[in-house]
Amino acid sequence: MKTAKDKEVTEKLENVGKTILSQIEKGQNPTFRLPLRTLSNVYFDEKTGTIKLGDKMADRQFLNIAHSRKFMQTMLVAAEIKKVIQEEATISIRDLYYALKHTIEGTQENTFEEQSESDPCIEDIECSLDLLREELHLAASAKGIIAGDVLIKDGKDTIDLTKMGSGGWSVPSNVEPDRIEFKKVNAEYVLFIEKDAVWRRFNEDQFWKKQNCIIMTGRGQPGRGERRLAQRLNKEFGLPIYVLTDADPWGMYIYSVIKQGSIALSYSEEKLATPQAKFLGLLTQDVEKYNIPKEVTIKLNNLDVKRLKEMENYKWFQKKEWKEEFKNMKEKGYKLELEALSKKGIRFITEKYVPEKIKNKEFLP
Amino acid sequence: MSEVKEMISAEELAKEFKEHSVAEFFKKNRQMLGLTGKIKTLTVIIHEYVSNSLDACEEAKILPDIEVQVKELGEEHYEVMVKDNGPGLTKETVGKALGQLLAGTKFHRLIQQRGQQGIGASGCTLLSLITTGKPIQVISGTSKDVFKCELTIDPKKNEPKIISIEDLDKKYRGLAIKAQFKEIKYQRSDQGPLEYLRRTAIANPHAKITFTEPDGTVTVFERSSHEIPKRPQPIKPHPKGATVDELLTLAKHTKARKISSFLKEEFDRIGDKAIEDISKLVHFDLNCDPKSLTWEQAEEIIKAFRKIDFIAPRLDALIPIGEERIKKSIKAIVEPEFIEVVERKPAVYRGGFPFCVEVGVAFGGNAGRLAGKDEEGKPIWKAEIMRFANRTPLLFDSGGCALTQAVQSIDWKRYGIKDFDNSPITIFIHLLSVHIPYTGAGKQAVSPEEEIMEEIRLALMEAGRKIYRFIGYQRRMAEREAKRKMYYKYATEVASALSVLTNKDKKEIEEKLHALVLKHLKIEEKKEAEEAKKMENITEEEIEKAYQKLKEKEKKKEVKKSKKASIEAEEGGEE
Repeated sequence: MKTAKDKEVTEKLENVGKTILSQIEKGQNPTFRLPLRTLSNVYFDEKTGTIKLGDKMADRQFLNIAHSRKFMQTMLVAAEIKKVIQEEATISIRDLYYALKHTIEGTQENTFEEQSESDPCIEDIECSLDLLREELHLAASAKGIIAGDVLIKDGKDTIDLTKMGSGGWSVPSNVEPDRIEFKKVNAEYVLFIEKDAVWRRFNEDQFWKKQNCIIMTGRGQPGRGERRLAQRLNKEFGLPIYVLTDADPWGMYIYSVIKQGSIALSYSEEKLATPQAKFLGLLTQDVEKYNIPKEVTIKLNNLDVKRLKEMENYKWFQKKEWKEEFKNMKEKGYKLELEALSKKGIRFITEKYVPEKIKNKEFLP
Repeated sequence: MSEVKEMISAEELAKEFKEHSVAEFFKKNRQMLGLTGKIKTLTVIIHEYVSNSLDACEEAKILPDIEVQVKELGEEHYEVMVKDNGPGLTKETVGKALGQLLAGTKFHRLIQQRGQQGIGASGCTLLSLITTGKPIQVISGTSKDVFKCELTIDPKKNEPKIISIEDLDKKYRGLAIKAQFKEIKYQRSDQGPLEYLRRTAIANPHAKITFTEPDGTVTVFERSSHEIPKRPQPIKPHPKGATVDELLTLAKHTKARKISSFLKEEFDRIGDKAIEDISKLVHFDLNCDPKSLTWEQAEEIIKAFRKIDFIAPRLDALIPIGEERIKKSIKAIVEPEFIEVVERKPAVYRGGFPFCVEVGVAFGGNAGRLAGKDEEGKPIWKAEIMRFANRTPLLFDSGGCALTQAVQSIDWKRYGIKDFDNSPITIFIHLLSVHIPYTGAGKQAVSPEEEIMEEIRLALMEAGRKIYRFIGYQRRMAEREAKRKMYYKYATEVASALSVLTNKDKKEIEEKLHALVLKHLKIEEKKEAEEAKKMENITEEEIEKAYQKLKEKEKKKEVKKSKKASIEAEEGGEE
């Protein structure tokens, strides 16, 4: 059954169509107005500690060779969302991509070549109409996993996250309180791990049980579901979030996205970012501290160095501890993967490295 | 019949023949004509005959009609036949013209001319004798009689040897030569006879040239002009361009009794004032007999020439092909989409030699050199540079030639030609001078005289500015068409989306969108036309500005791309 929200969303989408149609009828260039989602229109809000979208707007126009294709794609996405809501379904953003992908009549060109073309259109519609992805009946497919002494109510099902075996519970993209309800949370902190393989090590070692914590991973760059879930655990239960990534610019950026938010989703970071998150490791400084053999480090490549330089300029990395780590990474010229700690023993990471760091409160802000 | 009335008879021309010994030729040239390489030799043979025919027709005021045929007789053994409708040769002159080296009339004159030296046809007779042992066959018809003869050359005495001669009872005016050669090779290459004749036809739009290749293929280059070019006038040498060697040669042949009068008679721009200046600078008496001049004295005179100011040389001795005629000719033979010709005013190099430059830039269509086909069967074009000196194509030594270097020194990108070497473009450069400064005796490359380089560059840049406009226009047309196609293509999709969003008929929305696209493009077209008008008199500075802007834009694009790539890399995609 359609909810009031569905009706409101449908109306908003129809208004987009009506506006553009009237522009066509008046002989004006069909124009879709949207907030500019680039680095130049993003700022770091010191008060909330998150990235926020500025107020610069951009016009996407049909009669502009640089915009025309994107304009067409945006309209197709808007129309498809309306259809999905009408059918009272929820689909994944990958479903949406496939539903819309077809060869344009009389050409060899596809409406969308890759999902990376349709995803930004969804984000554009979300932020220009001020709607959440869930309100558009869209979901990202589950990617992240979680385990720990937590009892969750997901719709009619109650799930015990201590009994998820070796696979863990896969985090859905919509974890809003009306979908996911926490029945019990018995943990002291959340360990947010970059890599799936490393998470499995922690799960196999029953780390969550031994340390009385929750372990989760976003399998690389975390999606909305994992980030929103971490935020809720932090806000609603006061759990600290500790992030564990590779010691390289990409790992640091994953931390940055969990903590401050991303540029692409800057319009909804208040709902996704966890400014209280802290960085546990790895650090290149750990190599000497833990006496890790040099041969397991990896030489920085040109792309790493370039990325490192960019990150040094980000406002939210202007802290002395981070400057020190950037400096060390540059001077040593190497990076370090989480798996490299196995050189010190398979359980070095679960039995010594992480517990010690937490015990000594060795975090980077 | 007007052709005949204006004709100068062969008998009159014969009076002009003067003899020069082979020894003298070597003294002046030091090297023989570059008859090296099997393909090159055949091209040079054809060049010698054809340029003689063109010169003879021009002198006799006849529109040339030249037939060239190459037959393969055996391995590296060919027969070359060249037949014209010129004034023909008389029985008295045929021997000297075809059987004696350096018998021509043109040796010491400073005149804009094709052959410049006159070893040509007789040199071929000698080559035929050396390689095959056979005489050449000639049929000549003047307004008086027609005869056939076989002749060769006595290489030791440098004298013609007539083997047989007989009158023919038929009507013919002109000269036909048939000669056999060995150790040569026919090839349809950039340096072969076909390309040579094609270029000769371009530089001589008044000539009709028919060529039959060994395999029987016949190519006709029709004339695109019916005007016979004016005959260039010989001029006396200007003192600034004179050399010691030349001065001594002239002194030997002069009729003057005193050095002073010899200088005044044989050189341009030397009067009493100059003689007075020279006498102050040299250490001998200018009243002496010029035949007594020593090398050292001649050197002193030349040094004096360098120090004294003279009036610049006369510039009216040069007869360019002409802008319109070049345009027509290139249009007919190259068939480009666009052609621009620039003719510069005559100038002087080394202070003493008048020269003039004509440049043509042909673009698109069949311009350029066909270098094969791509995977889709579309032709691949490469840039082509056609060099000419006094209406004669230069096919060899391209890299060492100032004309090529001038083309390469231009930054073609600024004129909208992104990749010059791989563009459908033909550059035509014609250098005219009373004395072409060749780099060697092979006469295939021009030495990089500063003044000549500069004139060619200025001409190319002027043509480049026009090409810039044309390419801009062409690009805008193509862009507009691409835009229209793109908007139409997306209109279908947009219409179907809007139909879903508004619950209105899809077809109706699509039609409205198409009308909107057309209206939009019309407005753009109008704006472009206004801009194109502004470009009509575009200056080099404005081109420079636009070029810098373009470079900036491309740079920014690159930066933007890499920035975008790094942001995408950091945030990754969601599934």
